[in-house]
Amino acid sequence: MKVDNINLPKAVGGWTRPEAPRLINSQNIFKYMNGAGELYLGYRFHHLEVFAYSSDGQDNILVELYFMETSDDAFGLLSLDWGGEPVSFGGSPAAPSNKSFTSSTRALYGGGLLRSWSDSIYARIMAERETPASKKAVLALGKAITVNPKNPPEPELVKTLPLEIGSAWKLRKDRLSFFRSHLVLNSIYYLSHENILDLDLSTEAVIAPYEHISNSGDKKRSQFLLVQYENHERARKALNHFHDAYLPEYKKEITADSAANSPSLFKLEDGWLAYKLVGKYIAIVFECPDQESAGRIIQKNESNLLKKKGKS
Amino acid sequence: MKDKKPVLTRRDFIRGTIGVTLGVSILGFKWPKAEAEAAGSSLVTIVRDQNAMDSSKNVDSTILKKMLEQTLIKVTGQKNSKDAWLSLVKPNDVIGLVSTDHLNPTHDEVVDVVKSSLVDAGIPNDRIRLAQGGPSNPKKCDALIALPALKAHWLTGIGTVLKLYILYSGSPSSYHKGNSSKLGEIWNFPFVKGKTKLVLVDSLYPLCDKGPQPDPRYQWAYKGLIAGTDPVAIETVCLKIITEKRKAIRGEPWPLSPPPICVEAADKVYGLGTSRMEQIKIEHYGWEHELLL
Repeated sequence: MKVDNINLPKAVGGWTRPEAPRLINSQNIFKYMNGAGELYLGYRFHHLEVFAYSSDGQDNILVELYFMETSDDAFGLLSLDWGGEPVSFGGSPAAPSNKSFTSSTRALYGGGLLRSWSDSIYARIMAERETPASKKAVLALGKAITVNPKNPPEPELVKTLPLEIGSAWKLRKDRLSFFRSHLVLNSIYYLSHENILDLDLSTEAVIAPYEHISNSGDKKRSQFLLVQYENHERARKALNHFHDAYLPEYKKEITADSAANSPSLFKLEDGWLAYKLVGKYIAIVFECPDQESAGRIIQKNESNLLKKKGKS
Repeated sequence: MKDKKPVLTRRDFIRGTIGVTLGVSILGFKWPKAEAEAAGSSLVTIVRDQNAMDSSKNVDSTILKKMLEQTLIKVTGQKNSKDAWLSLVKPNDVIGLVSTDHLNPTHDEVVDVVKSSLVDAGIPNDRIRLAQGGPSNPKKCDALIALPALKAHWLTGIGTVLKLYILYSGSPSSYHKGNSSKLGEIWNFPFVKGKTKLVLVDSLYPLCDKGPQPDPRYQWAYKGLIAGTDPVAIETVCLKIITEKRKAIRGEPWPLSPPPICVEAADKVYGLGTSRMEQIKIEHYGWEHELLL
């Protein structure tokens, strides 16, 4: 965590804040927000600072600054919901080499709530009652938080996902999420209440649907999941665990990873599932309408991963 | 390997094998099918009033009181709210009102109108208490009135009726994550079982996304009270409303994730009521706009 101190204004509009924030850490986060604390502990959480701005005759504005260990974690929290009105505070854009679809979205507003990603801080600023004045104050506070000129790129893993697979499948960028915990995965796409992919704070994962819209307007959607482990052995064990739990009746086909090998394919109740072990990565696609699409989605992602590995 | 218990996965939902897998893998026993099948039709009432809340979310207690009266009459079939209460509780019962202050709190006005309605029915004021909290609270009560607020939940899918009693377990963390499917178990604890005389869901301003913190974009003015005596049937109706609202917001199916397995488990494993819509009789009164059923 390398964030400069945030100088929140003492007063904004008619609202003023207390001198010091309420400090929340991993020990008392559940006291502050009950089970919601699991979300933040599912990322690399450092601490939380809470300021309640009050004003005579107006409802409070609550500012929550989540100080995360890395900017990837702050990005991950914002990525759980890309809905809302994108807000630009005029900060410096990401370097051209780092630009991609989500890198330009740093803050989203809706219904009185502003959520933002600024370096390793994820912020939630919420007016208890939305009014024109409270919106102005919330946005002013958002701007104060994002004045930091550092504008790190989104996680590397996110950038490996191809935006298109052939001409048929397009990535739903507005449904892409970055995470590390199986609880967070389950809140996006349920697999199992058990941690069947051995996710933890050392892993990185991205999930997003690929969508195919036919000429007749018929929409098909497949869910793609990419997980990066510390090393190949952990990835191999995790894929074994996943197979045993999710595909117990199928013969295991985890072959030595090589680009020459085809993905393992399984016809399930909701469509085709394909997976592949690629070095320290596992790529899985769910709910594909046919075997060919499942294979293509895995292979194109694998190809991107290998290109990335070649560059690094 | 052959003794390994199966893991509940997404595939169980698609195949409709939740009950079987849950019974074997999490709860360690087989699904008591006969008990589940014995459940009959359950009535769930929905009373709504367009003027129950203004655009600033201020609740009109006079209208709310009328909504409560109508609810009580429809749920019990009695001719007025006094008779309705007295068909549910005894005058000398210690009655616990169980509201929630978490995520989407029960409106104070809902608790207040229920309390004043009980007093009007002849229940002494000193026999009515707020009963949310640890297990000592239900132990002191003869009857419970469950007053949850309609909301989704990020760890259990839905967090309305069944989750309301989680603190009664004395060990709420034992019912989190994978163990949330066991929430129905709490309703069968000896000091809880049979005490819930009415479930009245505050659905004035529900929350249809799971959080874990409130996001005003996913709250809306439904302006309703949902009630009945079958907690599972009521949760099932609440689930339907939340599901329909999510679909309306995104313009495409937006299933709750994780899926609310506690609802089906409450039916098929714990026998608390029915989660099958075909066994639920829904009666709605008042405002029809976006009923979502």
